[in-house]
Amino acid sequence: MNKSILLLKNLLLSTSQSNIYRHSTDPKKKSRVVGNAVGMLILYLMLMAYCVANCIGYGKMGIIDIVPILCALTVSILAFFFTFLKSNGYLFAFKEYDMLMALPFSVPTVAACRFLYMYVKSLPWYLSVSLAMLIGYGVYAKAAIAVYPLWILLSLFLPLIPMLLASFLGFLIAKIGSGFKKKNLVQTVLTFILILAAFGSRFVIESVMRNGKVEEVLKQASEMAEETARYFPPALWFANAVTKFALSDILLLVGISIFLFGVVFAIVGANYRKINSALKSHEASKDFRLTSQKKNSVVNAIAFKEFKRMTGSTVYLTNVGMGEILAALFGICVLIFGFDRIVSTVTSNAPMDPAILRPAIPFIVYFFLGMMSTCACSPSLEGKNYWIVQSLPVEKKTLYQGKMLYNMYLTVPFMFFSTICVCISAQVSLIDTILYLVLGFCLLAFSTAWGCVCGMRHMRLDWENEVEVIKQGTAVMIYMFPNMFVCMGLVVGSVFLGMAVDHTLLALCFILIVAILALLSYRRVMILAQKNAGL
Amino acid sequence: MAEKKVLEIRNYTKVYGAGKKAADDVSLTVEAGDIYGFIGHNGAGKSTTIRAVVGVLDFTEGEILIDGHSVKSEPMECKKITAYIPDNPDLYENLTGIQYLNFIADVFDIGAKEREERIAKYAGSFEITDSLGDLIGSYSHGMKQKLAIISALIHEPKLLVLDEPFVGLDPKATFTLKEIMHEMCAKGTAIFFSTHVLDVAEKLCNKVAIIKKGRIIASGTMEDMTEGHSLEEAFLEVENE
Repeated sequence: MNKSILLLKNLLLSTSQSNIYRHSTDPKKKSRVVGNAVGMLILYLMLMAYCVANCIGYGKMGIIDIVPILCALTVSILAFFFTFLKSNGYLFAFKEYDMLMALPFSVPTVAACRFLYMYVKSLPWYLSVSLAMLIGYGVYAKAAIAVYPLWILLSLFLPLIPMLLASFLGFLIAKIGSGFKKKNLVQTVLTFILILAAFGSRFVIESVMRNGKVEEVLKQASEMAEETARYFPPALWFANAVTKFALSDILLLVGISIFLFGVVFAIVGANYRKINSALKSHEASKDFRLTSQKKNSVVNAIAFKEFKRMTGSTVYLTNVGMGEILAALFGICVLIFGFDRIVSTVTSNAPMDPAILRPAIPFIVYFFLGMMSTCACSPSLEGKNYWIVQSLPVEKKTLYQGKMLYNMYLTVPFMFFSTICVCISAQVSLIDTILYLVLGFCLLAFSTAWGCVCGMRHMRLDWENEVEVIKQGTAVMIYMFPNMFVCMGLVVGSVFLGMAVDHTLLALCFILIVAILALLSYRRVMILAQKNAGL
Repeated sequence: MAEKKVLEIRNYTKVYGAGKKAADDVSLTVEAGDIYGFIGHNGAGKSTTIRAVVGVLDFTEGEILIDGHSVKSEPMECKKITAYIPDNPDLYENLTGIQYLNFIADVFDIGAKEREERIAKYAGSFEITDSLGDLIGSYSHGMKQKLAIISALIHEPKLLVLDEPFVGLDPKATFTLKEIMHEMCAKGTAIFFSTHVLDVAEKLCNKVAIIKKGRIIASGTMEDMTEGHSLEEAFLEVENE
């Protein structure tokens, strides 16, 4: 068997849940695997339903022709961001690096197999989007039979170019970071800068594309396609391939993907050993002098441990910290540019009074901060260190209280800062500002406790790479997606309710509801801890 | 006068999912001041037993008592007086050595002054004081092992459980650990440890048990077990029976 295939097969097998199910004799473990699979299936179905619903919308609006390009763009954006956030951990500085490099594999083979491994693991997400949009497009556009196999086949190639671009950026960051003493910090800062730049460029591209002709663009799919092609040609190749059966575009998409793969991994391969050696080696300062020590409570000691766990990992920090940074930036932007101006920019100067958005302020801030809860992945992140807390005289409930306390320490200051900034700019009354702060606190308490429930219910300790539980863990997915959708619904719902109900009364009602939900979730955490969930 | 029983394992049995017995009707007693060696081949059931003693692994039948408290029904009471050092300590790699020690000290509610004294004493003995400010991820296997040992000693446990404690330690650290074990034993701490190194067990332990395929095949004081022979000879003899 080809060595690359052998390595890839083993990488996949080593993290395969079905393999665990097949070979485990522990019924608990087996049922956890089944539970995780069912949870993931539900999430894939939710995503597919969302995509199909979007296609139905486009069909009703008579713009079904833009679906192939939208599909290509959506998959590409998802693939780019997913890969960019995962490249550190999957491609570089992964746990089994020493073991793999000690085996008779060429360096580019190891690097390329790690990439393909990441590709295969992420493929179900991209296929869920692509296949769902194919169904929507097929039904509304009455597509020819040949469209279906071609679409499916090209969907396999669609994520490759953005993934390779993201991997290359990840490689550059790792290369730059490896030259510094504080490698982790440099990598984390560079990752944040690039993500924020990508977010910013999204708005620039959108404003260029709108350019006062948004209606025409929406009405004419061909114009939209040309506009898009200027920024990302593979989307156009995909659309032309599946709608016009253009052989040249099929060859371009497939050929460029393969060519780029070869080029990227020739470059990455040449530097791979050097980068990983630098990232995995640590300079010992050997200058510690024992001075006076401080005593802490057990929950604070656990919270501090969680803090160090987060700051010690670029993957963890970028995933968790992004929401906090976005919330802070949002608050600063609103304060500088003004609430009304931000609202009119986001709504494209829609004829509305920005004041109607005031009841949604806590939910908008929560959208950023609640995007990810450290508690959703921290139980699984104990991994092979779990023996420490298991063998210590720490009650399970104290352990999880410490984990929850840390998430509150992390998020609450950002919530206060962002909410106060927005309230000042939106000229919210003092009493409403206080209520929005209380509501924000309750929302974060709910997010923390509910995240912990998800983290405990879907705890997974047998991971090899922390990305598996931070970015792809069932607990995180089950926490994140419903939370995001519900939050978006609450933003809209609070605006509508705010038009009919007094804002102060509305805030009080929301506080009551969210506080009850937070308490129920907290109780659930305590019950699960009592039952030794996850053991 | 009868010595106080610190660890009592009664008919402990661990059955894995498919019905395989990893430990079968294991019974032994470790008294205060004992250094009890637990020896056997790879896969004989040593680590399984040890992990059950320290509350990391659930078990199927039997009872494990630490200072009279049941590991099953009073795990917290047991853990408060026990310290455990696994064979391959996976420590929090993103903490520095001193942060990890403070974390453990906080968990055991050790006062600032006492922890300073103990950290200074043991880190000095193992010569890792100057590395305590570095991340654990940068430590060698031996240094991690030393740190795990210091963290186990920081709360002066009544029962010290060690799984292959000498693996990865340099000769100086091995000597230091043996000295510390003797010192603790003199203070009344009970020590229960597994090892493959029979010479070490023979010189260090006053009691020993041999486990084979999950069953204790011989146990007793070192004198009774060896009867004038070396422990290695005694071990091979009972192993081949």
